[in-house]
Amino acid sequence: MKIEKLLYFGLPGLILLASIPLYFSDQLTLAVIAMFLSGLSAIQTWKLVQGNEAPEIKNNGEHTFSCQNQIFSSVDQLSAGIAHEINNPLGIIAQEVQWLRHILKSDKVAGSVDPKELEDCEDSLKEISRQVDRCNEIVQKLLSLARQVEPVIQEVEANDIVLSVLDIVSREAKGANIIVDAQLDDDLPPISTDPPLMRQAVLNLLVNARQAVEKDGSICVFTRKSGADFVEIEIRDSGCGIAPENLGRVFTPFFSTKPEGKGTGLGLAICRGIIERLGGEISVSSDLGKFTAFTIKLPVGRKANRSLSL
Amino acid sequence: MEKFRVLVIDDEIDFVETIVKRLRDRGLEAEGALSGPEGLQILENKDFDVIVLDVKMPRMNGIETLREIKKKKPLVEVIMLTGHGSVESGIQGLQLGAFNYVMKPVPLNELLKQMTQAYERKLIEEDRLNR
Repeated sequence: MKIEKLLYFGLPGLILLASIPLYFSDQLTLAVIAMFLSGLSAIQTWKLVQGNEAPEIKNNGEHTFSCQNQIFSSVDQLSAGIAHEINNPLGIIAQEVQWLRHILKSDKVAGSVDPKELEDCEDSLKEISRQVDRCNEIVQKLLSLARQVEPVIQEVEANDIVLSVLDIVSREAKGANIIVDAQLDDDLPPISTDPPLMRQAVLNLLVNARQAVEKDGSICVFTRKSGADFVEIEIRDSGCGIAPENLGRVFTPFFSTKPEGKGTGLGLAICRGIIERLGGEISVSSDLGKFTAFTIKLPVGRKANRSLSL
Repeated sequence: MEKFRVLVIDDEIDFVETIVKRLRDRGLEAEGALSGPEGLQILENKDFDVIVLDVKMPRMNGIETLREIKKKKPLVEVIMLTGHGSVESGIQGLQLGAFNYVMKPVPLNELLKQMTQAYERKLIEEDRLNR
């Protein structure tokens, strides 16, 4: 077992250790409760480790991880709860910055403070404002993780969803000598999905692929049937790949292998949340240094919506 | 054939005039506005089902306009249309609730297909609210 996994069991271990002196100091009831908590904690931790960090290994060295949503929902709720608490103080900071700017502009202050110092103060407020905006962006993303908005399900073509977002990414990718290709099955049944949410998820994955490749590589999107009831969209890039030990964590909020300040580590968590809300599944396969492929599996359309024609 | 109401907001007068005429020829109720503030002003007095919104406009850009539209009329569906779109503005537009983010030039039939899907979505949401 890896050291990392041993650390996961630190909490149940500590509770168990704490129960020993209780047992010898005649605090039998407390000792039993502590042992019980330790056992429960160990079981939960074991489930987390098993579910979240065990990618399947194929014969060719490729690693695959498929999301099991029962683990993530509590993480999402916790993140959104923290975000909600941070939201109010952030609003107050932004409001106070506005107020300070107003005071600094008054003739009384402008006449009594060295202009250079005044400029420094304004620069400082600008920076605070910029960082508040950054925090706001993260807070909004976190809140969207657990937002229980009912999706608006429509029957649409998976290929249309792919093509609409591919267009946005291809223009920018061309500048970095990245070939963006699509191999789409023309004979797909329509899927039941929320089109704007789906576009957001696919666009997020394409942006990730673009960042993984950096330059001189390729991104390819495939669509295909998966049995009679599902359609798959796969986004495959020739980028740096994901290390096997990180594969099970890429969908966790705030997990990122990018350098600090580059990305919040929320893009894939949001993607996973969207796909789960739409009744689909998302998985990732990778071979370090060779490729990464994200596959979204979506249910085909089951009901004909109100038909409209022009 | 269901008719719906479309507002086209774009600073290119030729584009607005052409598209409004073509939509009216197809039996839709269409109006044009040449800036974000003008579009928002029209929305104060009249309801629309779908808005076609340019991203790059002077004074108030498409993203800012979208934000204001969604505050005033959350149910109206917006299709962002752009000739110089960036990935960032695409992500931002979709996060702010745009139905789609489409690159210019777009064939009219494709735009009509998008508008119809957007209108269908609005009907589903209205049905849900009235239930």
